[in-house]
Amino acid sequence: MSQLGILSRQAARSTTANVNQRLWRRMLPYLLVLPTFAFIFTFTLFPTLNAIVQSTIQPGNARIPSRYVGLQNYADLFNPSSIIGGDFLRILGNTALYIGVTVPISIVLAFGLALLLNRKLQALGFFRFAFFYPVLMPMIGAGSIFAFIFADQIGLANTVLRSLGGVGIKWVGDANWTLVSIMLVAVWKQTGFFMIMYLAGLQNLPQDVYEAADLDGATIWQKIRFITLPLLQGTTLFVLTTGIASAFQLVDQLYALGEGQPNQRSNLLLYFVFQKYNEPRNLGYVNAITVVILAFLLIFTVVNFVVWERRTYYEN
Amino acid sequence: MFKRLVVLVAVVAVLALMGANIRTEAQAVTEINFYYPTAVGGPITQIIDEYAAAFNAANPDIKVNAVYAGGYDDIYKAVQTQISGGGTGPDVAVFLAVDLFSLIENDYIVPMTDFINSTADGEAIIADFFPAFLLNSVDENDVIWGIPFQRSTPVMYYNKDLFREVGLDPEVAPKTWDDMLEAAKLLTAADGSRWGLMIPSDGFPYWLFQGFAISNGKNLVEASPTEVFFNTPSTVEGLEFFAALSRTHKVMPEGVIKWGDTPTAFTAGQAAIIYHTTGSLTNILRNAAFDVGVGFLPQGKAGYGAPTGGGNLHILKTSAPEKQAAAWRWIQYLSSPEIQADWGAKTGYIAARQSAWELDPLKSLAAEKPQYAVARDQLEYAQKELATYQGLDIRQTFGKAVQAVITGEKDAKTALDEAQATADQILAPYR
Repeated sequence: MSQLGILSRQAARSTTANVNQRLWRRMLPYLLVLPTFAFIFTFTLFPTLNAIVQSTIQPGNARIPSRYVGLQNYADLFNPSSIIGGDFLRILGNTALYIGVTVPISIVLAFGLALLLNRKLQALGFFRFAFFYPVLMPMIGAGSIFAFIFADQIGLANTVLRSLGGVGIKWVGDANWTLVSIMLVAVWKQTGFFMIMYLAGLQNLPQDVYEAADLDGATIWQKIRFITLPLLQGTTLFVLTTGIASAFQLVDQLYALGEGQPNQRSNLLLYFVFQKYNEPRNLGYVNAITVVILAFLLIFTVVNFVVWERRTYYEN
Repeated sequence: MFKRLVVLVAVVAVLALMGANIRTEAQAVTEINFYYPTAVGGPITQIIDEYAAAFNAANPDIKVNAVYAGGYDDIYKAVQTQISGGGTGPDVAVFLAVDLFSLIENDYIVPMTDFINSTADGEAIIADFFPAFLLNSVDENDVIWGIPFQRSTPVMYYNKDLFREVGLDPEVAPKTWDDMLEAAKLLTAADGSRWGLMIPSDGFPYWLFQGFAISNGKNLVEASPTEVFFNTPSTVEGLEFFAALSRTHKVMPEGVIKWGDTPTAFTAGQAAIIYHTTGSLTNILRNAAFDVGVGFLPQGKAGYGAPTGGGNLHILKTSAPEKQAAAWRWIQYLSSPEIQADWGAKTGYIAARQSAWELDPLKSLAAEKPQYAVARDQLEYAQKELATYQGLDIRQTFGKAVQAVITGEKDAKTALDEAQATADQILAPYR
């Protein structure tokens, strides 16, 4: 009897242990994910949901009550004759232009530089560092340096232009040139980063395909076009994504170069958000623009991966 | 060993904290936080720290923590974030004079009426401020919400050496718009190395443009915070003249001119006449290798005219009553004639109290460098700076119209009609 009791107790203990163990094993993944999730929830998911909710409200103040306006804030954004819409659509166009110009130019330049620097060369390290150096500089620092270079009367760019017999350009302040100046700085700044990515990609490429191509008598252009570029699609996808994402995040440089003026001709989306946030009654619009930016980025990222993922060759 | 050390340190720390606590309770010191910006050159933080130290020494029952909080925008944002998040913000702060109605509509500040009435010579103090500076301290019912502190006004700077060079009388500042234009034509170098005139138009161009609007007949705003006058014919004419300076007469660089570049171009001899804040005077006098002339903003059809600018002292609504009372004493100190005379001499802001100009170091400075007195004398013609409800949007609306005209995107009439319509739409809910 006593022996039986001991046995059953042992059995019970082992079942409990089993249950505990199984529970532990089932819970473990969630526990491991929890810190990351808490972080993402606090700083990404919750603010996003909050922005969506707030974007349906026209905030009031001590004199005017807040009210729920549904999708009216979004309708205003895309209505060129509303107060905010005129600015928003112009700035949306600026952002599209900025992306359409800076990202392709940076990628082409970076790829070219990477090809040039991916071989035995005197002072190779110096050149690689020189082209990568702008990446290390804080954006606001770069912006401030260029604010001097682009200064109208005393700036470096105009001093050089004038000494060559040309006329000075109003780099910051002219309706047509300000955005160009900002794009120049962006290309200068991000090309180095893209170049390092391509350089890393190039150095990981297998040599045998090139040997085979040489045997077939392929020209250097054919090798680039049919071997290097397809093999580096993963890198291209990466730099394209980061390039476009950072275009939506640009603030620092605008702060240093013209603050989006004149008349919003050189403004970009996130800086516009930053400016509009100063007036509490604009918070509905600010949140709506934020949601629009997020939607653009989401759509872009999904399309990007669906289109490219299938065709992309990843090393390993 | 190590453990024991940690325990020891902890015990000492706790005891020290308790000691500190007991001491503060014994003296019942009211601590107040004061947020202030820097908007002009010079060692502003050092000067304010000196004032706070002197005030704290003279008033042992109050401790002012002077917090340098960035630019005006940063202070506004800090207060907005703290209060909308349920916090308290500072007890007293310097805000842009034009932010008055935003501060009122968001319920951030309290009126000064009770404090002034409870002060023995309260009314005399208020009467001693230059009346032009009080225009941006009051609402439409003449309730005082802020006390002038770091105030300024735009003036015209001109290079006397260059005036002499082209045959103009260096002792006579251009009096009217036409005088200014004629002088600028003579002063502009054909090879592009020097401009006759530079009037900044970036950032918030409404401010310098108010000089044109007021001197041509009508200010952009009057006592009411719910109404603006953007497309008055005299203002349209003023904007046409302003744009023509660069686009037709070519005496000024085309496009938007940067605020920060303008004094540099002036002291480098690349611009002969500029409009800028009186706050730049100290800097300009220090950097210019030539005789600097300072004059009133020239006359349009209606005579002289200029806006005021700068920042006022405000007491926050979230502050506790005893802290508000302490804040009021700090405000009285900062706006006292003695401090204003010192402040004006050190920074280039216009001492806001009339009696401050009878005190040194300001009195001797104004005698030695008469340029400092020009801005003060112009106050007689100064009017209210563009302050309304939802003021940031209103000022931006007007600024965009100015920029659209000087870059040739729109003509003055169209741009100002549109700006007026936009402003009316923004202000409609407040009427």
